[in-house]
Amino acid sequence: MEVLREELKSKIVKTLDLMDAKEEDIGNDDQLIGGELGLDSIDVLELAIMIEKDYGVLIDNKELGQKVFRTVTTLAEYVQQHRTKGCA
Amino acid sequence: MNDGSVPRTHALALEAALQAMEGDPAPPDAVVLGCTTGGMLTTEELLKKGVRDASRFRWHGTGTVATYIARKIGCLGPSFTISTACSSGALALKTAFELIRSGQAKRVLAGGADGLCHLTYYGFCMLQLIDPQGARPFDQDRAGMTVGEAAAMLMLVAAESPPPGARAELLGGGISCDAYHPSAPHPHGEGALAAMRDALEEAEMGAAEIDYINLHGTGTQDGDASEAKAIRRLFGEEGPPASSSSKDSFSHSLAASGAVEAVISTLSLQHGLLPATPRCKRPDPELSLGPVPSPKPADLKVVLSNSFGFGGNNASLMFGQVDHKPASFARISHPSFSGTPDRFANQGAALKSSGGVVRNVEHRLRCCDAELQNEVVDPGSAPSAVRQKWLAVLGSACLTGVGHMEISTERFKQGLSLAGRCPSEELTRVLSPRALRRQKRLSRIALALAKQAHAEAGNDSSFGSVFVGTGFGSLSETYDFLQALFESNQEFSSPTDFVGSVHNAVAGQLAIRYQAHGPNITTTGEDDAFEQAVFLASLLAPKDGTSCLILGADEAHEKMTPLVDPNSPVPGELADGGGALVVRPTEDPFGIALAPRFFKMADDHPRLLESLVKSLGGRDAVCSQIGAVLVGIPASQRSRAKEQLRRFVSDTGFSGPVIDYRRQTGEFATAAAVAAVLAVRLLHEGVIPAHFTPDGEFQLAGKRILLLGLGSRVTAIEVVG
Repeated sequence: MEVLREELKSKIVKTLDLMDAKEEDIGNDDQLIGGELGLDSIDVLELAIMIEKDYGVLIDNKELGQKVFRTVTTLAEYVQQHRTKGCA
Repeated sequence: MNDGSVPRTHALALEAALQAMEGDPAPPDAVVLGCTTGGMLTTEELLKKGVRDASRFRWHGTGTVATYIARKIGCLGPSFTISTACSSGALALKTAFELIRSGQAKRVLAGGADGLCHLTYYGFCMLQLIDPQGARPFDQDRAGMTVGEAAAMLMLVAAESPPPGARAELLGGGISCDAYHPSAPHPHGEGALAAMRDALEEAEMGAAEIDYINLHGTGTQDGDASEAKAIRRLFGEEGPPASSSSKDSFSHSLAASGAVEAVISTLSLQHGLLPATPRCKRPDPELSLGPVPSPKPADLKVVLSNSFGFGGNNASLMFGQVDHKPASFARISHPSFSGTPDRFANQGAALKSSGGVVRNVEHRLRCCDAELQNEVVDPGSAPSAVRQKWLAVLGSACLTGVGHMEISTERFKQGLSLAGRCPSEELTRVLSPRALRRQKRLSRIALALAKQAHAEAGNDSSFGSVFVGTGFGSLSETYDFLQALFESNQEFSSPTDFVGSVHNAVAGQLAIRYQAHGPNITTTGEDDAFEQAVFLASLLAPKDGTSCLILGADEAHEKMTPLVDPNSPVPGELADGGGALVVRPTEDPFGIALAPRFFKMADDHPRLLESLVKSLGGRDAVCSQIGAVLVGIPASQRSRAKEQLRRFVSDTGFSGPVIDYRRQTGEFATAAAVAAVLAVRLLHEGVIPAHFTPDGEFQLAGKRILLLGLGSRVTAIEVVG
């Protein structure tokens, strides 16, 4: 789980091109959307595509997106449960 | 009609234009078209096949659609292209209305056209905004839109009493910007409410007078909720009148939709019919707005039509019944439109629909200034009343291949080249890393320009409206989106790139950054996009003492620019940049001010130069008032433009300096924006440098600078100082 969380943080920084944040700046339970990082609904969609591509996990509606992308921990849990590809 | 030589959008648009002109084939004074996809479907196929022959891409630009129609129907006046996503069609009608109201045209063909393409269909897919079951606007289970295609055109005619065959009257329009988010609407419908209120104010009516609202109603969760909230706020306790969205029947045809729904609104008035939203089976109780479930007869006198788009771009139009006598109700079950079938919701590849939605609709227009009606209209040439109006320059900035304004101005004065791609440090230097995130090249150029022009204007003179001209828009986002889509076999691409690829993404960003809630207009065209933006600013900028931003910019993209810009040199020698001006409309110019004077198609125009000279006040005025000419000559049109210039000089006897500025700025679609800013600098200094004259420095001594655009379009903007 910890490995997956770190991997997701690195992918978030890379996918969203977070110029003023590094993966170590993102806490496991920090609010992702509307929090310090300044992420919004478009970023959620961008991350959803990354999750689908890299882990085969489909997050295809707004309600689910809001739930899953609440924090790195909620994301890691959801990916862990539903993943069909990628190794960690 | 389509012989296969033009892309789908062009063919649709022409079909609609010809139908709108049936029975009255005289060319209109102007064409105003809302368009966002242009030749994109064709471009996508060519890119996929790896075609490198630039001539095959000549219909790529959104501006080429209006030009194509204008040529086919013989319109020699202005052809404007408005690319503000899904409000484009409605904004085109509002612009046409203002052209007529200001006395600059008597008959305007206006509307919208968009053919389906992969970019828009998959873009909305990536945003999770497509309902797999087809759009169900205002339904509690709604899950998005149905993307479609269409063209709709309306002929607007100035008249004091209804001309024969008039179908409805355009009473007014309101435009606004949420300045809230690039793709999501304001949660409380702030901008939508402002647009509806402005439309009512322009029509001099109260909300209670509206009999029916044709909703924007795309079927997305947030969009419908925001619109419902705005409507509830507008009508208060009285509650709103009957309303419906037409997008479950006709799909969402993006830039065309505002015009399609204008046609639906006028037919509703003409036939006394309330159109319905049949696919809204269970109206969402949270919206408290149940659309008409099935079409029924009704006595309709006034209709409001809403169109909202990305970038928080809002437009509301008011239509009224032709006021000769109450119409008897014609019972028709449903207008016989051919919409886009619902199957598009499921099948991205099904680009086969015939979506021409067209009617011959003639509008009577209330003309506020009756005197203007008696003046002979020379379309595209400012009439005397308009000639008093100026845009006072409060601040300006330009970016070129050599960098910021100071370097550019100094090199320009020495006759040195400014051509090249803007140095990237100029684009990142003035903006924070967070401001730069998600912004690719064109947005960065525009944000840097706006920041510098705004700073020069003094930060207290913040602007309330934004007018952006761009030849080809955000090429980086467009290219990156399509590449990723093709590489993944049409499975994945970036939603961020899609939102950024929309032509008005830049103007939307500027509105958010500067909280500009007024008109937010993006014009597109190969070489005249900036000139169009200046024209539209003079037409649409609020005259309430607030200022506006006029910005012209293009990005050089190594892959795309050589294909789509007919003037671009070889890759490796591409140029880009732009210019921005913070201006305030005034009739009493103080300091430096500019004003658009002329905008016409050059094709076979018998008295083109004569008409240009007249628009500038005649031969004597040209010689006595104009000190220097900055002339824009696109490389692909050099021989024709040189002949036009020779005629201008010989017809007027003009003997001052003539500066061929593209030789220095390099070739890009909005090089005129750089020239406009350079003209402001030259007027400021009062001198044309020795490099440009045979006899040393030329003192302007209070004379004006004329910005002349030549080639397939002839444009003129005067800068006074």
